[in-house]
This record gives sequence, structure tokens and C-alpha cells, in this order.
Amino acid sequence: MPEKEPLFELRDVTKTFGGLTVADRLNLHVDEGEIVSLIGPNGAGKTTVFNLVTGLYRPDSGEILFEGRNIVGLAPHRITQLGIARTFQTLRLFLNMTVKENVMAAAYGHTRSTVFEAIFRLPRARREEREISQLADEKLAFFGQRLAGYRHQQQAYNLSYANRRRLEIARAMATNPRLLLLDEPAAGMNPAETLELTELIGRLRSEGGYTVFVIEHDMHVVEGISDRVVALDHGVKIAEGSYEQVATDPRVIEAYLGLQGAA
Amino acid sequence: MPLPLAFNEELFIQLLVNGVTLGSLYGLIALGYSMVYGILKLLNFAHGDVYMIGAFVGYGVLTLLGGPLSPNIAIAPLIVLMFLAAMLACGLLGVVIERFAYRPLRDAPRIAPLISALGVSFFLQNSALLLFGAQFRSYDSFVLGSKNPEFFEPGPLTDPVFVVKHVNIQLIQVIVLATTAGLMVALTVLVAKTQTGKAMRATSYDREAAAMMGIDTDRVIASTFFIGSLLAGAAGVMFGLLFSQVFHFMGFLAGLKGFTAAVVGGIGSIPGAMLGGLVVGLAESFAAGYLGGRWSDLTVFGILILVLLIRPSGLLGTRAIQKV
Amino acid sequence: MNTGGDIPEVPGRPDEREPTRVGVDEWVASVEDRREHGRGITALARRIDAVVPPWARLAVFAGIAATLPFWMDRGELFAYGIFTLIYILLGLGLNIVVGYAGLLDLGYVAFFGFGAYFYALLSSEHYGIHWPSAISIPIVVVSTALLGLVLGAPSRRLLGDYLAIVTLFFGQAFVVFVNAANPTVHGQGLTGGPNGIADIDPNDLFGYDLTTRRQQYYFILGVVVLVLIGLYFLSESRTGRAWRALREDPLAAEAMSIPVNRLKLMAFAFGAGIAGLAGCMFAAVLTAVTSGNFALPILITIYAVVILGGIGSLTGVVIGAVVINVSFQFLAPENPQTSARILFYAVIVLLLVAGVRPWWRLGVVLGGTVVFGFVAHAIAGAISASWTDGVVVEGGRLTGAISDWVIIPAGHEHFANAAYITLVVAILTLTRIHGWWRTVLLPPTLYLASIVWETSFVENPAVARWILFGALLVFLMTVRPQGLLGTPRVEIV
Repeated sequence: MPEKEPLFELRDVTKTFGGLTVADRLNLHVDEGEIVSLIGPNGAGKTTVFNLVTGLYRPDSGEILFEGRNIVGLAPHRITQLGIARTFQTLRLFLNMTVKENVMAAAYGHTRSTVFEAIFRLPRARREEREISQLADEKLAFFGQRLAGYRHQQQAYNLSYANRRRLEIARAMATNPRLLLLDEPAAGMNPAETLELTELIGRLRSEGGYTVFVIEHDMHVVEGISDRVVALDHGVKIAEGSYEQVATDPRVIEAYLGLQGAA
Repeated sequence: MPLPLAFNEELFIQLLVNGVTLGSLYGLIALGYSMVYGILKLLNFAHGDVYMIGAFVGYGVLTLLGGPLSPNIAIAPLIVLMFLAAMLACGLLGVVIERFAYRPLRDAPRIAPLISALGVSFFLQNSALLLFGAQFRSYDSFVLGSKNPEFFEPGPLTDPVFVVKHVNIQLIQVIVLATTAGLMVALTVLVAKTQTGKAMRATSYDREAAAMMGIDTDRVIASTFFIGSLLAGAAGVMFGLLFSQVFHFMGFLAGLKGFTAAVVGGIGSIPGAMLGGLVVGLAESFAAGYLGGRWSDLTVFGILILVLLIRPSGLLGTRAIQKV
Repeated sequence: MNTGGDIPEVPGRPDEREPTRVGVDEWVASVEDRREHGRGITALARRIDAVVPPWARLAVFAGIAATLPFWMDRGELFAYGIFTLIYILLGLGLNIVVGYAGLLDLGYVAFFGFGAYFYALLSSEHYGIHWPSAISIPIVVVSTALLGLVLGAPSRRLLGDYLAIVTLFFGQAFVVFVNAANPTVHGQGLTGGPNGIADIDPNDLFGYDLTTRRQQYYFILGVVVLVLIGLYFLSESRTGRAWRALREDPLAAEAMSIPVNRLKLMAFAFGAGIAGLAGCMFAAVLTAVTSGNFALPILITIYAVVILGGIGSLTGVVIGAVVINVSFQFLAPENPQTSARILFYAVIVLLLVAGVRPWWRLGVVLGGTVVFGFVAHAIAGAISASWTDGVVVEGGRLTGAISDWVIIPAGHEHFANAAYITLVVAILTLTRIHGWWRTVLLPPTLYLASIVWETSFVENPAVARWILFGALLVFLMTVRPQGLLGTPRVEIV
């Protein structure tokens, strides 16, 4: 298996809500430069994994390692500052801020100027402000015409559904992460947009240099992007491997279709 | 009041009794907060002022029927009438407030209904000030039903029903406790057993899902406001009977304390509201007795902060899981 | 890295021949754009607001404000000038907490009070300490901010609503403490109890005492301009953006590397600090402070200032403060004079002409009002002569007609008060209903307005004003939560 240390790793992570076990001694890893997909039927605990990783939930037991460091118990904003950024399945943009401001706001973690520097417009505040603005332009340009030009100054709620998903990704990119967690990025997109997204995720690695861990339902997307696929059901890892291996795994088919499908 | 050097049993029992009576009053107010918060996640700042209006309605009925010195009817039906009128008026007021100040804001940012509530509270308070003036109005309940009210001979409401270690427990206190208990039981039955109660619980759990199950959520919310405000109206009359004085600003502090009671008990929980009311009432009574009256409000404030820091979900509340 | 230069081709659409328009980005954007830029006066104001750059606004504001002392007498400068400036300052502080960070701080007025009292302790005869402003004001501002931190600390674990009640309680506790607790320090009450603290020093500019109203006005104006500039820079900085982000969605903000709790506390402390600053000016200008200056009505007024102009907008705060304070001073009642009466009816008719469409409905409303009046007058007169025996204030040709039309009772206590409250409720109701009901309800409301105007003996004008403010908050929240200049905010779609 991995010769070098993985970028990110879950070791025996367990989480229960009341009597419900949503993650059961889960082991996962993502190597630097990989694109890994997490699949599973509804309620399998995929988003829970993201919530555990980003610190929104605290695991009952187990370790979550990022660059070899245990990040369990850190505040979510600290984890993001360390280099893990996510998007939300339910879309949680800052709706009443402009598109560009959405992206600029996410640069908070790696800027340093204080309130007083801002009030008196001291050199560092001015410089950082220029840098953030440039960074936002850069990240938005990643999406080509989709988020270009006049859209920068539009309120986020003016965007179409697909563009909101793109803006979520741009916002996550602005935190300067090494690992991007994308939660169902293709949900609600039409076929053409889905195709475009598949290509985009590839570019996130090749041009952006990000490692990508993605939850996705659309099997065409999963097939198109994944180096490796992990399947979950009821908080348990039931299969792992290449897309072909996982897609033909009887346990995965059973989880999706029920027993009859496997028979 | 000077600090007692030796433990004074009489004083202690007196304060205990006062605290429990006061607590049942706060409990009734807390119920209204708690129910509305449970169903709308809205802090109804105007609730305390609804309670104040209730006290004034009771006063109005009393005055219309001849006033405390020479009531036209017997005192038992008079008190019943005062309660009924205040409860009905407050219930309706609650429904109207909901209809005009909160319903248009169902899907607004969370801060909007809070500000609207603040506006309603301020509006009611000052309307009462303009209509009734700044002076205290007295129920004069201690002479109510007395044979010689002009000589300030105490009436039957102050008659001792029980005597515990030389401490009289007056009829009026018994009436307050019994009424509170009755209302509590009725409310518990209503929420647990009836169709309306089920609809309320469903709505507070998930408003959208309840609406899809065919529950008229607007109506359920309106009836929640009706019941909550009705209880506040009853509490208002109780206050008037117990302390004999009503004024336009009485709702503000009582509202704060009622809310504290709801938080202490666990907001959204009916027995919690009652328990919280008792805690607040006792704390206020003992603080007033042993530390002096000016410290009672600050003590209640301290309790609120303490509970929020140590156990934000309250004594009987449950912690909700946040869904992402 | 990809820059704007080489933008990749967007893949072809499967429905290229007849592209769907609904749901496509451009279509969505254009619809939203049209909806946003509606018609009417407020839309015009918003468009102007969008075009004028910030420095030009500041220049206009400062320019106009600087001329005030040249055409106002001392009393007017105090009531209109200085008070408006203090409201602006208070509104700016509250705007940080409520407008940027989205925290409902109902104890805000206590920070104002704390600042005023603390300044009074440091610069007055009370303890005989007379520190110069250059020392006392910074100390007061910093300690008020620290107090804000302490009070905000529980909010780290609280939902927004709990914060609201804690702060509201705190505001009340402050008044109780100042008024009743009044602990004895160095042989006398710390806060002076109900009497407050008197003989407070004026602010001074490096040793030069600012004693005239004009000097004080320019001093406060200078402070306001500096605060405005600082806050503008702050709002366009990483901190300002982070505040707005956490207002929009605290959880997403936290996930985007923003330390939400620390920023909440910071907003709280900042708002408190500015309130403390306003307190220093207030105490110095008034030369005395009592707890009544920092009670609930002032809080409501500050909220009205912030909300009226549009939450989160600096220009909005300035406009809100001007409108609120000026109308506050105007609302002082005087008996209707001839010209004022004609003005009153003219304004009503103009509003109707502007607001009621189509024109035949306008006719129905006006005719209905006149008829309704005569009928009501006749009925009231038939019930008891005392209802119509009141004396109409003489003046102009309208006098005779009005005495037969408006019910003016003689000796019915509280009649005008009740009519006033009913009027406010009726107007609130009118904003919530539409169509025929509105047309039907308009005449009685208008008639009621005439009664209130003609009787005009609302006994307590201050209270009448506050009732109006309470109603204003409800009205703005239910009808136009974004205020005059704000754009409509969207929470969840």
C-alpha cells in the first residue's frame, strides 16, 4: 500500500448520535495529488465523514491525521487554516455578499493585518487587500466565463444553481488548501454542466495542484475523475479500489439495490 | 432588611411561601415564552407586555363592576370574571400580534422578528402609559369583600387558610397556587392528548413537514400564541391580586424573569418552565429577604448568566443536534 | 495558475438549437436585476446611493453639517445638531454589532450609559477628579470595550436569541445598579443614585475647554467624521468581510477559516467602545447624567436609527439619525394653526393621490371619507351632545366645515389618546392588507387621523413619539426590513 505517508488519513474513526452509529471504525486515506471519490447510498454517512474531518463533529474515538498531525479536537477554522477546505452539499454561500466578496472573505485565515491596521489603512493592510483581491480574481477565473466580469459585483443570491456550486468551490480554493473536500458538486446540474464539472475537477488537480476528496452520486462523474473509489454503507467501508472494482463489487450493488439486485 | 443574626424560621418560611407563589406566576409567563419559542424559535419580547395588559384588563373589570370598595357582585364570581376576561383578551391580543407582527416575517432573516417583537413590546408599553398614565393602579385586593372597606378592614382574601409555624398562608396565595396547578394540568393534557396538541408538537418539530402532512401550521401557531398569551393574562390578574398594584412598566421585568425561568427550566419544555419559574421566584424572594430588595433583580440576572454558561439547554431541556 | 487571459471553452450544450432560458445564468441574473431596480422614489434613492462614491458622500455630509452653526441658534444647534451627531455615533456602533455581525445587542444603551458615567467620574466635581479629555476619553472607550468583551463572553456559547435576552437584562441591570444599588465608595454614592452626577467638565482639546455649543458641535462633528472614515476602511477590510460572512452563515464562515467566536466578541467590543465614546460626548455636553438617559426608549430610538436607513449601511445610519432626530424634535405638539392645518390636509390628499390607484378608487376614498365623517358626527351627536361639544380651533375657511365634520368631544378623558393609539394600529393594519379591504378601511383611518389632528391634545407627546417608534419598528420589519437604502436581503432560497 502507500509507501510514503498519506496526506490525509482516518484511523478507526467512530461517531454515534444517540444509538445511531454513523461512522463505524472507519479507515480511509487520501494521498497527495490523488482524486478519491466517496460513494454510498443516502444516509450512508458520507457527509458525516466530511463533518468529522472539518471539525464540525468530534469523533467519539479514533484519529484524523492531516500531514501526519492529529487534527481531532481542533476548531473548524483552525483545520481550514491547516489546509483542508470544503464545499457544502446544501450550498451555504454568503448570499447577501457579492460573488467576489464571498471569495475574498475566505482568505481570512491566511491574512494577518489587524483591525487597527485596517482602520488606519496602514501598509500591510493595503498590501494584503490588494493580494486578496488578486487571489479572488484568480480563483474566479478558474471557472472561465461562468463567474467572470460583471458577476464579480453581483450578490451571490443572483447566481443560478450551477454557478452557486462553482462559487462554493472558488470560495474553498481561496482558503489556500492542499486538500479540497467537495460535497456532491454535480448535484442539481444539467448534463452539459456536469460534463464541464468533470473536466473542472481534473483541472483542480492538474492546474490548481489540489488533492481532491469528493462525495458524488453521479456515477459518470465518479468514473470520469476518480483515481480511487471508496464505498460506504451505514458508516462502514464496504469497498475500496478502482472505479471498475468498486462498481462491480457485490456488496456495493447490494447496498444500492438491495438483495435482489445482487442475486 | 437587616441581615438576621440567628436563623429565623418564620422569616424563612415566609420567604419560601412568597417565593413559591411568585414562582408559579413566573412559571405561567415562562410557559408562553417556552411554547412560542418551541414552535417558532422566536423570542416574543412582547409577551411580558401582554401580561401587563392582562393585569389592566382585570383592573378594568374590577372597576366596571363597582371597584374594590363596593363591588356590585359577590367576590367569588368577580374574581372568576376578572380571570376569564383577562385571559380571553390576552389570548386575542396574542393572536393579533402574531398575525400582524410575526406572520409576515416567517421566512425573514432571524433578526427581523426579534426587532419587530421589540417594537410591539415598546408599543404596548407606551400605549398603556398613554391610556392609563404613569401612576400605579391598585386592585386593593386586601379589602376586597371586606365588610368595612372604608376602614381598611381586611377582606376574606387575606384570611389564613393554613398556618405553618406562625406563618399565615392566605386565601389569595392558595387561589394563585390552585389556579396555576389547574392551568398546568389542563395545558399538559391539551398538549399530550388532543389533536391540537399533537399538531403543535409536530409543528414545533418540523414546520414544513407538518404543513406537508396537512396541518394548518398558521392556525397551530395562532393557537399557540392564544394559549401562551392566555396564561400570561391569568398571571397578570394574579399579580394584581397578590401585590395590589399594576402599572405600565410591570411587564418588562416580569417578562425578563419569565424568560429567565423558561431558560433555566429548559426552553421548549412545559414542566421545565414551571420548575424554572419556581427557581426564579425562590431566588428572588430569598435575595429580597436576606440581601435586600434592590439585589433581587441582579440575583435573577446572575442565575440567567450562570445557567447559560454551565447548562445552556436548561435543567430539563435536551440538546439538539445541529444538522449540516 | 490560470489567469483571466486564457479562458477555456465552455463545452457545447446538448440543447444548442433551442437553448432553454429559464434557469440559465444570464436569465436568472437579468430577472433579479429587474426585480432589484424597481421603480419609485426609494428605487431612485438606491440608484443614487449606488452611484455616489463614499468620499463624495462624506464630503456632502460634512459640508452641510459644517454650515449648521451659521443658521441655527444655540438651542436649535443643541437639539438638531449635537443630538443628531450623537445619534449618528450611537447608530454607527450598533451598526457594527447588528448590521455587520448580525448579533442582537439589546444592552447597547448600557454601554452608552457606562461611558457617560465613567467619563463623569473621571472629569467632574463628583470625586473632584478633573482629567483632561485626551486621557479620560481613551480610558473610557477602552474600558467600555472591555466591558463589552466580558458581556459578550457568554455569547460564545449562546444562540443569537439568548444573547438578545442576556443583553436586554444587562441593560436593565445597569439601570438598577446605577439607580438603586449605588454602592458607597469614598464616602459617597458611586453613581449618585436617582440624582445622577452633575457638574461634568466639558470636553477639552489639549487643555482648551470647549464650552460654547458651537465649539462642542464642531468637536463632535470631527469625531463623527473620523469614526465614519475608520469604519468605512474597516468594513472594506478582511475583518469587515468576516463579520458580514458570519452574519450570513456562521457555520460556513467557520468552515472558511474565520474564527467566528473571536470575531463576534470583537464586534461586540467595538460596538461597545463606540457607544462609550458617544457617552463621553453626551455627558460633557449635558454636564449631567442620570439613569433615565440610558433606559429602554433610547435603545429603541437607536435601533430605529439603524434600521430606518438600512442595516449595515454607513450612509443609512447617517440618514436614519437625521430623519429620526429631526422628526423627534418636530413631533412636539403645538395647537394647529391655520397654515399647519391646511398643510396637514394637503399632505394627506397628496399622499393619497400618489399612492392610490386607479383614480376612481381615489374618488371613492375621498368621497367615502367625507361622508363617513358627517355620518359619524351625526351619530355621535345623537348619542350625547358632549361628544361634539368640543371647540374647534379657529382659523381659516375650513373652521366651520370642520366643526360639523370632526368629532371633538368635550371632557371625555383620554379620548385623544385612545384615538391616537387606534390610529397607529389602523395604519399598521393598512400596511398589511390589500385590495378592496384597504379601500374600505382607508376612509375611517383618514377620518381618525383628522380627529387626532384636530383634538391634538395627546397628553404626553414623548410617549406618543415612542408609540410611533414602536410601530415604526414593526412596520419596517414587516414591510421593508431592508430600510430606506438597503437592498432586500435573502436568507435561504
